[in-house]
Amino acid sequence: MMPARRSTTMLANLVTWGLVLLISFPLIWMVVTSVRPQTELFQIPPTVIPRAITFEHYIKLLQETPFLRYFMNSMILATSTTIVVIVVGTLGAYSLVRFSYRGRETLAALVLFTYLLPSVVLIIPLYLMMVKLGLANTLTSLVIAYTTFALPYALWLLRSFMAGVPEDLESAALVDGASRIGAFIDVILPQALPGIISTALFTFILAWNEYLYALVMVNSDQARPLTTGVMNMLITSFNIEWSLLMAASVMMSIPLIIIFAFLQSYLTRGFGAGGVKG
Amino acid sequence: MTISASQHRTRNPLERRYALLGVLLIAPTVLILCAVIVYPLISAIYLSLFSIYTPTLKGSWVGLGNYAQVFGSSGFWGALGTTVTWTVGTLFLQIVFGVAMALLLNQNILFRSLARSLVLFPYFVSTVVAVLIWRWLFNDLYGILSHLLIQFGVVDMPVDWLGKMPNAMASVIFVGAWKFFPFVVIAVLARLQTIPEQLYEAATIDGAGVFGRFFDVTLPQLKEVLTIVILLRTIWDFKEFDLIYLLTGGGPVNNTRTLPLIVYQQAFGLNQMGIAATYAVAMMLVMLAFMLIYLYRARRQAP
Repeated sequence: MMPARRSTTMLANLVTWGLVLLISFPLIWMVVTSVRPQTELFQIPPTVIPRAITFEHYIKLLQETPFLRYFMNSMILATSTTIVVIVVGTLGAYSLVRFSYRGRETLAALVLFTYLLPSVVLIIPLYLMMVKLGLANTLTSLVIAYTTFALPYALWLLRSFMAGVPEDLESAALVDGASRIGAFIDVILPQALPGIISTALFTFILAWNEYLYALVMVNSDQARPLTTGVMNMLITSFNIEWSLLMAASVMMSIPLIIIFAFLQSYLTRGFGAGGVKG
Repeated sequence: MTISASQHRTRNPLERRYALLGVLLIAPTVLILCAVIVYPLISAIYLSLFSIYTPTLKGSWVGLGNYAQVFGSSGFWGALGTTVTWTVGTLFLQIVFGVAMALLLNQNILFRSLARSLVLFPYFVSTVVAVLIWRWLFNDLYGILSHLLIQFGVVDMPVDWLGKMPNAMASVIFVGAWKFFPFVVIAVLARLQTIPEQLYEAATIDGAGVFGRFFDVTLPQLKEVLTIVILLRTIWDFKEFDLIYLLTGGGPVNNTRTLPLIVYQQAFGLNQMGIAATYAVAMMLVMLAFMLIYLYRARRQAP
């Protein structure tokens, strides 16, 4: 390698990694704050590197706050939403991709349209609906509300994954005497499985991170998910304990880190297929 | 793309059974979407014609009175202006940072996939987490940001990041850019990897430098994906609620109150559900143009 070329690569490395660290600094700071002793926190001037590491904030979070309750609620909520959406969405996507009937294209366009709708438009009628059904303050109301964005999203992603399964495979199964449903289960599902799994994980993230519906529909600790629950800890506390909140933030992000590790290879496909909600 | 052998115009019994099966498979989706989207959407338009008091849910018909009130108020136009400022500001930063970062990450650097994951992470954490972290960074007494700025001599007093203008708007725009620019990075990065190497070689032979290659080769190739990304992000930033609501709550003195915040405030703060629905529908009308352009483009290059 020529010396000029090598120094360019060095420079590219330095600039890129410098920026990467700058971008991740807030996340690093979250972790640092969460393991810092309370006494060190309010030093002026603050030190960047903690002198001692402690897990007292995590212990306090789990023992003295309703954090675990919120965590469980979020788990149940995100898992239920994902299951409902993936089952319904997989059948729907298969229908949109491999069957022909009147209005199919219009339907596909409508799904994309609903995916772009602002939640604030739907939230008032949905809130009234939940009150009428007696579902206000329940996790069920949130699962129902979350399908408004999760189902169109999953359907759109799944549609593109299913369209990628070679049609010949299905035709071959049909020639061999399989029924459409048989071909779906034996041929399409296994082929589309990676796509289905990544769609499920993306859907889980969406539900896990949702805030607005949870804010409006649920007003009791019994059914409060993490997003509104942790925010509530900030609002209702007398003096804000930032290390506790940072510990909560770390804990809240752990499932995402795990999912993220799985998703690495699917990221670009997921985005190419219509984008991740933001 | 989905034309199968059985899809010609002539309909035999098997085809009809297939069509029936197809309809049966999509039926749950259609039913759910009708119940949670179509019905609420129509209902929102209907509600926007009433005056409703939230706690009792009692209402009276006011017809287009709400619309006259909304379009005649400075609140709506002010919030629209704020929404446009926020959207344009944060979108601009997202695109510039996003494209730049994608170009850097497309190079052969050490631990490239780790670098990519770190850059993408802000997009995946919950907005609640993002806001908590930034409010801690912005903290007036113990926040590290003001402290660092003081240490480097940029300012000599802690900065009030969220409590006064124009700081509050700038902070919201900046945090929005930090949270959402990875979306641009992923989309652009995916596209960069498919640009044929020959194009760059040809440009180099023609004597193009680094910038020449960027403007003559890379940018035209990115045009398509950037159009889609800008449309999507415009729609999403325009309707963003969580980030702004949690960072500033619309303050100081409604200076960062965007349209989604007004809807929430009217419905659940001021208990005016009818007017809130009117704001929501009006906001949707503004967004409709972008949504239709996106739909048109997305369908033209459907999977």
